[in-house]
Amino acid sequence: MTTTALEQELKEMIIETLELEDVTPEDIDPNEPLFVEGLGLDSIDALELGLALQKRYGITLESEAESSRQHFANLKSLAALVESRRQQ
Amino acid sequence: MTDLYLQDWRAWTPHREAAGESRLDTQDKPAGKAVPAMLRRRLNLIGRAVCDMLATLDPETNRIVLHASRHGDGERTLEMLYGLNEGDPLSPARFGLSVHNATAGVYSIASGNRCSQQAIAASGSEWAALIAEARGYLADGQSSLLLVFSDQPVPQRFAAYAPTSLSAAVALRVGSQPTGGAQRLVETMIPTGDSTLQPLDIIDWLMGSRQRITCAISRRGWQLEPVRS
Repeated sequence: MTTTALEQELKEMIIETLELEDVTPEDIDPNEPLFVEGLGLDSIDALELGLALQKRYGITLESEAESSRQHFANLKSLAALVESRRQQ
Repeated sequence: MTDLYLQDWRAWTPHREAAGESRLDTQDKPAGKAVPAMLRRRLNLIGRAVCDMLATLDPETNRIVLHASRHGDGERTLEMLYGLNEGDPLSPARFGLSVHNATAGVYSIASGNRCSQQAIAASGSEWAALIAEARGYLADGQSSLLLVFSDQPVPQRFAAYAPTSLSAAVALRVGSQPTGGAQRLVETMIPTGDSTLQPLDIIDWLMGSRQRITCAISRRGWQLEPVRS
């Protein structure tokens, strides 16, 4: 499965925003979990990522909402979120 | 006064020559190997050095940590204040690592050491404060504990208000009993002395290029003497 331009953009944003040493875009599997397992991000990263989405795409998420958890599940779901909010 | 013995130490600064002293790390960028990569990415240079030194001095991970720094991470704090002034939202990661106990906290997470930790800032009396606190813990029954003293250059904007400081960190394991190779810390009251003591002064003293260190604010001087058998 090929990586879309948006997925590539999000990968680069994640690496830059979260200062991921030694991680390349190829290391991030779009279907693998971003948090705890998979990439291994933590709760501070979630807040940082939320901030980056707000700055770059104007997307505001509710931190307590179950939907936010789903959006942050993996890179694919994150890309779907950005795509849907862009079309609104 | 509770006796205090220096059992071992480690130090980091790129501003001195190691001259064969293996306890001094002079690399520009400390390895930070004691901390997993996902935690290490948030540490500054001092933080990487401190975590490595603590791991070496406390392989049992069961000692209290006292961490003194006059200014802490001034750069990170100042960047946040500039951002707030511009109306930018605060970065949670940057905020989390700007607090004075951040490095000790990361060490605690990485090592699993859940003992008490204390972060100290004392307007130039950091060394005196560290020793006073250490004596307190030893008097209270701790057999040994870890002392850290670190600082980095003050951000340019505030440089005129503080003495010049170079990046340096020193970690010491001290105890109430002499162990093999330990030295006794002798503290004396003095009428005057250096205006402030910085981590680099402590390193020079540990390396033997200074016999005594003094602090005018606390009116104290310190020397190391061999333990008589």
